[in-house]
Amino acid sequence: MKEPHSSQTQSQTDTTSTDDPPSPAYRSDLPGVLGTVDTAISRIESVMLAAGVLLMAVNTIANVVGRFVFQSSIFFSEELNRILIIMITFAGISYAARHGRHIRMSAIYDALSAKLRKPLMIAIALITAVFMFGLAWYSLQYMLTQAGRGRVLPSLQIPVWLIYVWVPVGFFMTGTQYLLTAIKNMIERDIYLSTNVLEGYDDDEFEI
Amino acid sequence: MATTIFSIMIVLLLLGFPMMIPLIVGAFVGFYSLFGGMGQMETMVQQMMAGIRPASLIAVPMFILAADIMTRGQSAGRLIDLVMSFVGHMRGGLAVSTAAACTMFGAVSGSTQATVVAIGSPLRPRMLKAGYKDSFILALIVNSSDIAFLIPPSIGMIIYGVVSNTSISELFIAGVGPGLLILLLFSIYSWVYAVRNKVPTEPKTSWKERLIALQRALWPLGFPAIIIGGIYGGIFSPTEAAAACVLYALFLEMVVFRELTFAGLYDTAKSTGLITAVVFILVGAGAAFSWVISFAQIPQGILAGIGIDEMGQVGVLVVISIAFFIGCMFVDPIVVILVLVPIFAPVVKSVGLDPVLVGTIITLQVAIGSATPPFGCDIFTAIAVFKRPYIDVIRGTPPFIVILLGVSAALIAFPQIALFLRDLAFAK
Amino acid sequence: DTWRYAFEEAMDEVQGKFAQKFKEEVEANSDHTIQLFPFGTLGESADIMEQAQAGILQFVDQSPGFTGALIPEAQVFFVPYLLPQDQEKLQSFFRESKAINELFPPLYADQGLELLTMFPEGEVCMTTQEPVHSPADLDEVKFRVMTNPLLVKSYEAFGATPTPLPTGEIYGALQTGIIQGQENPRFYLESMKMYEVTDVITCIGHNNFTTAVMANKDFYDGLADGDKEVVQNAIDVAFDYILDYQAELDEASFDKIKEAKPEIEINILSDEERQPFKDAAGQVEEAFIEMTGDTGQKILDQMKADLEATN
Ligand code: NA
Ligand code: NA
Repeated sequence: MKEPHSSQTQSQTDTTSTDDPPSPAYRSDLPGVLGTVDTAISRIESVMLAAGVLLMAVNTIANVVGRFVFQSSIFFSEELNRILIIMITFAGISYAARHGRHIRMSAIYDALSAKLRKPLMIAIALITAVFMFGLAWYSLQYMLTQAGRGRVLPSLQIPVWLIYVWVPVGFFMTGTQYLLTAIKNMIERDIYLSTNVLEGYDDDEFEI
Repeated sequence: MATTIFSIMIVLLLLGFPMMIPLIVGAFVGFYSLFGGMGQMETMVQQMMAGIRPASLIAVPMFILAADIMTRGQSAGRLIDLVMSFVGHMRGGLAVSTAAACTMFGAVSGSTQATVVAIGSPLRPRMLKAGYKDSFILALIVNSSDIAFLIPPSIGMIIYGVVSNTSISELFIAGVGPGLLILLLFSIYSWVYAVRNKVPTEPKTSWKERLIALQRALWPLGFPAIIIGGIYGGIFSPTEAAAACVLYALFLEMVVFRELTFAGLYDTAKSTGLITAVVFILVGAGAAFSWVISFAQIPQGILAGIGIDEMGQVGVLVVISIAFFIGCMFVDPIVVILVLVPIFAPVVKSVGLDPVLVGTIITLQVAIGSATPPFGCDIFTAIAVFKRPYIDVIRGTPPFIVILLGVSAALIAFPQIALFLRDLAFAK
Repeated sequence: DTWRYAFEEAMDEVQGKFAQKFKEEVEANSDHTIQLFPFGTLGESADIMEQAQAGILQFVDQSPGFTGALIPEAQVFFVPYLLPQDQEKLQSFFRESKAINELFPPLYADQGLELLTMFPEGEVCMTTQEPVHSPADLDEVKFRVMTNPLLVKSYEAFGATPTPLPTGEIYGALQTGIIQGQENPRFYLESMKMYEVTDVITCIGHNNFTTAVMANKDFYDGLADGDKEVVQNAIDVAFDYILDYQAELDEASFDKIKEAKPEIEINILSDEERQPFKDAAGQVEEAFIEMTGDTGQKILDQMKADLEATN
């Protein structure tokens, strides 16, 4: 956004992903053991994202084949998709936080001087972290309440609370990413969108 | 309470917070003040889950994945080459084709978000290459996709029909007129835009070249066949058609064209999951926020002060349009329909308005609201898929909004735009 | 105080009519006001149920079919041919049933809910593209049912291919032909416009759609005796009102459908034609017992005894 014209030219080659380079394996910038753990979590999250999406396609098609060819619908198909969508969403929000991919409206923010942007970014990251941790806590409570009531999914006949397991985990991981981003911004001179994405580093890649 | 919440949300949005935060904070403040503390935050989580529950949402990741595979491989390029061989030499031809493709795809798939992805992602790079400005392209894609609300099958119209006890068949037919009118106006605007900005045209192709393009596109033409034939042939629901497209795209790009490797597939699936998550967390947060608005009976409060009972037919239609337009700027369209339709039902009846006309006007407002800032699902989808800043995605929107509002006004002044086809079909 | 009441249907449908009557009575006889939240305004059926359990809502309606995920015994209302079709018997069953008035309340209380009453919403009929006179006519018919194991079992037993589908997609799926049939109470066939996309309505008398009215238990237990009486009286008035209303509505709905689509074929099957469906229903009863064990058996036996008593 700082150079609208160059971003215009750059974006001519930019689509969903056609010209994205195959994403290199993520390496955490965090020091020591923390970095190893972060890298591992990132890997797990990407596998969950990819597997979740592909499973969803297979499951949906299988239901069509069952209904159309074998005259018998897969009754748990919809419930399975629901489980997958929750998994994808909550693995994804943490992944997106790590890679600075959450949607934001940065027009005014970008117009500020670096001196103002830095404390603002720290405040944004901290406040976001607080809400993510809060939601992690309340979604855990929600899950426990569900477990206490014993509600089951009508077709799969498994307890409903099981499908929400990813929710508190996802919120907690997202909160952690934002907290680390705030800390990184306090320590380093540059301004960071996430622990390893520098603000404005590559307009196309990261500013969404 | 409403004013406080909206102000906080707008401020957080403008400061550059991740978009989920204004929605989450809006819902949080609502729950906190409604229940005097943190006692009911679990229900906020419940509603976030409810937001991402509808089975039809599955179409979004499926079409993202299919479109991404097609664009990485050859399918999308070959299909667009075919279109270009027919319209490339016409001024604005590509833009008009894009608008038409969005309308058609949206009409069939029933999902505006899926349309933004499926049609937008292959066509946007081609339009950029052809010399259109990105702001125009993005606005064109988002707004043309929203015409889908008006053309059957339309989930918004089904919900309206059930809540207001109105014939869904009649609603479906009534939406076609305004939908096509909007497409026509968008096409005219695209042509004017192309002429004024001197978007270059390509040399006219010969019939032989067109035949070659057609030949190259034979395999990829299976996509429209699957979607249109599969849905109207009663084989798939629109959601399932999306999954079938994924399968067909995999077949073409991995087996026929051999463009996609397993590593590429993994990357594509991962990026699909990421985009899905980024959009769905907003859908979830938006649902929690909508619950607060509904539970606190905020619309009832606002409308009670207007004195709508004193107004005539036109006045009522204007108020309805404005209420739905504003509602859909902030809240999920389906919730807006569920909450507002019963509130307006008595006055619609008492002034003797045709419920089919009201339904058409409401659906149109829902379509406009979904593409209008600050909050709109299709805007979020476009940001996530095209990786453009929020401001870039909405920059080109105003002319489209003006056209849409013009059609709203025309519809109120000349209800026949909607009712003509209905009256013809149902011999009224 | 302001009390909140959410239900699963639109304002003009049966649950909405009941709720409006209840509101009218409570407000006429006390200082309390009631806010009504129709279908979808606070979430789906499972959502409003949880909100009532959490105490955000004071009153809630839920069809026992949906409650099955929480209280498996409530699915007894999906056992075909259990409820009488004769209106008089049906009404006295709902008034006097020991199963409803004595066996179910403790099960609901375990979930933090005070069961206030249950009422019928109307006869469940099917809509299809071709006439149905016997289970053979349902062969290869993809039939949409709610995702409930017993309902699925029923339609398998009836010879159809049960197909799950969200409510919002039924209309479109009938139009394009993904499914060829679905079942719903009569008024719902009319309000959901199912007749616009199907040609035949068939009533085999297998069920009457039932709804439970509940209050949050802590809220209810905390009411002063006078307020409890106000609530109970309002429930009684609304109950009497809705029994007559739903009976008339069953007729009126079909009249409206015939007016909107004169060529519609409506078949009320004879006792003879119903027999093969009844015979098939036995295995559904077994499935219910299998799912719910002794408590289920006890409720089923009591329901049957209640029916004997009304005869
Ligand atoms: Na549509
Ligand atoms: Na909007």
